Amino acid sequence: MNDMNIDIHHVTRVEGHGNIYVNVKKGIVEKCEWQVPEAPRFFEAMVLGRQWNELHHVTSRICGICSIGHTLASLKATEAAMGITISDQDLKLRKLALHGENMQSHVLHLGFLVLPDLLGVGSVIPLASSNPQEVKTLLRLHRLANEMSNLLCGRTTHPQRLIPGGFSKIPSMKELVTLRKKLQAAIPDLQAVAKLVKALAGKLPNFTRETEYIALTSPDEYALYDGQLASTDTGKAPVNEYLSFTNEYVVPRSTAKWTKHNRESYMVGALARFNLNYDKFSPWTKQVADMFGFKPVCYNPFMNSVAQLVETVHSVEDCIKIIGELENDGLKTQPDYFKPEIKVKAGRGVGAVEVPRGILFHDYTYNSKGVCTKANCVIPTNQNHANIDLDMKALVPTLLNKSQKEVELACEMLVRAYDPCISCSTHYATVHFV
Amino acid sequence: MNLISKDDFNDFVNALIKDESWNVIGVKAKGSKFAFGPLESASELRLDYDVTLLPPKKYFFPQRETLFTYNLAGGFSAKNPAEAKPTVIIGVHPYDIVALFHMDEIFRETKSDPYYFKKRESSIIIGINIQKMSKWNFSTYMGAATVDYGYDLMLTDLGNRYSISVGSKKGGDLLAKYAKNVTGALARDIQLVGQKKREIFNMAQQKLEFPPELIPEMLKKTYEESGFWEEHSEKCLACGSCVLVCPTCYCFDVKEETDLSLEQGERIRTWDGCLLEDFAKVASGENFRATRPTRYRHRYFKKGKYLFDKFGFISCVGCGRCSSNCLPEIANPVNLFNDMYRETNITGTQMAATTPEVNIHTEGNIDYVPKLATIVKKVTMTANETLFEIRLDDNAELGHKPGQFVEVSVFGIGEAPISLSSSPTNKTSFEICVRKLGNVTTKLHMLQVGDKVGIRGPFGNGFDVNFLKGKNLLFVAGGLGIAPLRSLFNYVLDNRKQFGHVSLLYGCKEPRELLFGEEMEALVQRPDVEYRAAVNWCPDGEAWTGSIGVITTLIPQVSFDPQDIYAIICGPPVMYKYVIGDLKARNVPDDHIIVSLERRMKCGVGKCGHCQINQIYVCKDGPVFNYSKIRGIPEAL
Amino acid sequence: MQKPRVAFFDFAGCEGDQLQVANLEEDILALLGQVDVVSFREVMKEQSDQYDIAFVEGSCTRLLDEERLKQIRKNAKIVVALGSCAAIGGINCIRNYKDLEEVRRTVYGDQAKLFDTYAARPIDAVVKVDAYVYGCPITKEEFLQVVKSLLLGKKPDIPTYPVCVECKKNENVCAFERGQNCVGPVTRAGCNSCCVNEGTICWGCRGLVDNPNENSHKEVLIKYGLTVDDAIGKFKLYFGWQEAKR
Repeated sequence: MNDMNIDIHHVTRVEGHGNIYVNVKKGIVEKCEWQVPEAPRFFEAMVLGRQWNELHHVTSRICGICSIGHTLASLKATEAAMGITISDQDLKLRKLALHGENMQSHVLHLGFLVLPDLLGVGSVIPLASSNPQEVKTLLRLHRLANEMSNLLCGRTTHPQRLIPGGFSKIPSMKELVTLRKKLQAAIPDLQAVAKLVKALAGKLPNFTRETEYIALTSPDEYALYDGQLASTDTGKAPVNEYLSFTNEYVVPRSTAKWTKHNRESYMVGALARFNLNYDKFSPWTKQVADMFGFKPVCYNPFMNSVAQLVETVHSVEDCIKIIGELENDGLKTQPDYFKPEIKVKAGRGVGAVEVPRGILFHDYTYNSKGVCTKANCVIPTNQNHANIDLDMKALVPTLLNKSQKEVELACEMLVRAYDPCISCSTHYATVHFV
Repeated sequence: MNLISKDDFNDFVNALIKDESWNVIGVKAKGSKFAFGPLESASELRLDYDVTLLPPKKYFFPQRETLFTYNLAGGFSAKNPAEAKPTVIIGVHPYDIVALFHMDEIFRETKSDPYYFKKRESSIIIGINIQKMSKWNFSTYMGAATVDYGYDLMLTDLGNRYSISVGSKKGGDLLAKYAKNVTGALARDIQLVGQKKREIFNMAQQKLEFPPELIPEMLKKTYEESGFWEEHSEKCLACGSCVLVCPTCYCFDVKEETDLSLEQGERIRTWDGCLLEDFAKVASGENFRATRPTRYRHRYFKKGKYLFDKFGFISCVGCGRCSSNCLPEIANPVNLFNDMYRETNITGTQMAATTPEVNIHTEGNIDYVPKLATIVKKVTMTANETLFEIRLDDNAELGHKPGQFVEVSVFGIGEAPISLSSSPTNKTSFEICVRKLGNVTTKLHMLQVGDKVGIRGPFGNGFDVNFLKGKNLLFVAGGLGIAPLRSLFNYVLDNRKQFGHVSLLYGCKEPRELLFGEEMEALVQRPDVEYRAAVNWCPDGEAWTGSIGVITTLIPQVSFDPQDIYAIICGPPVMYKYVIGDLKARNVPDDHIIVSLERRMKCGVGKCGHCQINQIYVCKDGPVFNYSKIRGIPEAL
Repeated sequence: MQKPRVAFFDFAGCEGDQLQVANLEEDILALLGQVDVVSFREVMKEQSDQYDIAFVEGSCTRLLDEERLKQIRKNAKIVVALGSCAAIGGINCIRNYKDLEEVRRTVYGDQAKLFDTYAARPIDAVVKVDAYVYGCPITKEEFLQVVKSLLLGKKPDIPTYPVCVECKKNENVCAFERGQNCVGPVTRAGCNSCCVNEGTICWGCRGLVDNPNENSHKEVLIKYGLTVDDAIGKFKLYFGWQEAKR
């Protein structure tokens, strides 16, 4: 048994900053902690006093990667508060937008953040010379996802076209048909990536811990944009009751708040969605999961990355389907510089959306003038912090016969598997030596 | 005059669209406004529009245009952009047609712009008489509400049909090839067209309170009224909207862009505007029109006076775009000129400026593509100034006159105007003295002998050496001003017997800033030249045997007959006032004083607008000026 | 000749600007031909304190951030502020106008005292900055232009004129003509009026031009229907720090 003294500050290849802090003496784990000391952003305070038509612009800035998700959750909250409904067509277009974000984020995570670990290198940069084909394939998929987001939203980060009540500008049917062609042409690339991950899947640790999973769920589809709340432990609940699920509390060693529900922690994200909504995948998508013998309920957090791969396949398939539906219904055009007429009134609304990292809640209260008087945002990564901590506490004791370097890598890979977006809460860490 | 039914007209347009050899452009709706854009079907046309957001000039003088591309790897190559695809523009209102006429003269004058004319020549203008007029439009006052020329075809909406006037063979041929069922107009149609044209004159909602012919004189009287200009420009946001949407504005900026290899790139020109804050700023940081009132005033003067003095037209067609786009509502020429009319109190008798003699001549095309040249010698003269000797790669003689300048390109960085510093007596190479100041000059200083640069020019008017022959000359050089003067000075020395008494006064801040040190010292030995130098101060440890003081302290030391002396001055902007003052105190006549001025020069040929001082272009009418001619030009000194 | 070494750092921001660098897609490979990326925590395990050019994203929002910033300034020859949070303070400055005690309490309740913060500020309030890439987020084109300029040894060409210039060139219908309002006339151009092109308005994310006529524009906003408070509020979205300085 080795004595081990691990302090990793600024875990690399994750969004934002976190610390891993492990101390083992004489075979006993004395301390094993996940810390999140990032500069607080204070968004929930920043939106107070701002107008209903500004909130989505401000809260988009919570995250550069899940911008579309934040904007949509924000719009849904405002629209719920004021009783605004969007058209069927706009609903489909928003779903396309969310798929674009999921695809972009999952490919980035798999290709740039996780793959290097599986190939034993520090980053994707050396892979550009050693595995140029694979890197080009990933870049192609990433670019396609961004093109999709650009087409639907104006741009991936801080999307301009998403406004209360709909879109300021929509793509033409011609552009959507071209997009569909590109998605169809991307399928061989997807298959290549699946094969690559399969070849490396053996490197993913075989670690499980029984966990509660929470995500949106819907009877009609694999829920990302709309749905009810669901937990693997307690079943369904309306989104408005989210507070009883999240129960945020402040933890001294973390500027991000933590959450708990039925147990001491729960997990959100691709794995949670996979575990709750697997039956909504098409047989074609399920084939990809079968490659890995991957079925619900899977308690191995490292499989979150594989769940992301499966979701990417589903996204491509669903986008092709949605574009087909728009084509059949005929795309209704709207005037240039469109701005839906909104009747402003007082109210409170909750918007919940699945973003790449898990379920996101925005909760706003407006007065009769449309000014925000109260706001609450629960970020997916907030909801994962407790689970990461407990997973780590369970993982480390199983690795005590390994070298310190191997334990460090395993802990980092664990954190990376969650694809955390810590910048939504904070980032940056300091060295803590025992 | 011909007639065509509206259905047949639509078929005509669709036939053009179907024939892929044409770019078919027409007026379409955009939001609640209108804009010229490519047509996919005649049904998109909105010929009943009032005004487009941007005028059709964007098809001939685009917002962004590649002047040439270059590739440094494997030998240099520069390519002019491709031929223009034939274009039909449908729905142009008369005021925009008149504006294109203005632009044609401006782009043809002195040096013709082939980029503009290539597109003009390959396009067909189908105009239409105004059916709805925007409330800002005052084209009826500017003689631009209807037009008898400048179009290939002109339509008038007569209800279920259009009348068509054929204005050119091109237009007639187009109609014959693509249109069906074109008939001759009947007398009633001709009368109806006349009626429609008359109705246009009732549509104007703007009211100019005086005849526009008074504008040039009114402006002249108001130039110095700073209170007037301050008041009117107080709310100016320097947003440039008024000039960017104007059909007769043509100022542009020139930039360099490269790709990530840093070896390939292009030089482009983009729309610029004199209302923008940094329009008249030079590399040293000096801004010749730094305040809102001066920039605001310049726009009106350019349109209403300077272009009038040169071309005989007031360069405004009354389209009203500037007024409708100005958020603080200060850009409406009608309001401004009405205010000015009330203030200057000018009456009909005092007033219309005589239309000037207009002589537009063209001396060939502008060339935007530089010639490749090599640095053959590099001499560091001071901490900031280096002398370069350059030879054109095709071994041609530059053929410059003393006082001219060249535009020097460092590919990837850009182009900068630098005065020629050598006499044209040397035909195989030429010299430039470069101060390290901005992007181009800083990079130039890093180049070595054997490195390549691009050269365009020579530009500018240069000194009139023939006139100066036989005269007594007094050169006054301040600081870097010695560099351009040297081109004339050395020419004089090369042909010493052809000139009278020659003196050179040279002033610098301190001894180590002295340029051409050895040459200057040799002058001391020459009996046929009177040379005096002064520094403002001499720091400890530096050797200096000359005078200490500003350059004007040297002037009393030179004796001359004021009627018989010609002074040639070049130096920092602040110097001119004092030197000229001292010379005039000794009764030197105004037209015996010659100056060389500096401004930001981009195109080198009097088009882009950046070097403009009131009505003159430094690059074209200068940089050498006779003081008597610019004495009355407020922005010059 | 050795390629310049480049490092990326982040403070209080959303990492959207660094994502734009990742979004260069295939251009990343071309970029790597000209520079060596030695530190980019988001995508690389390796780190280094030996770098020539440091790109810094995010505002400085805590006293303890200043130490890290100053160290970066010491290590680097060139410091580039990446994105509006680093360049002008960005959206983080909204809270500068609120009582910071109140802000902390709203978010963290009675545990607020554990979370230190001060007025959010751009990084040039703490260290000297050599170049700026404005925007929320930055555009790939401008980022590459700044990188290429630094490699070529020339000053990056960042506009000093407002967004209206680009909006007019792009032939947009002005926001005010559409019954909306906009701060484009006082906002620095360089984004190619991308937000108006997408059918909305300019929110001012690139910060004020050098000499804005603020009073004139506030009058315009009021003329078009905003209350005085709303007009002032619009300026607080991104201009908080710049206005306070003026």
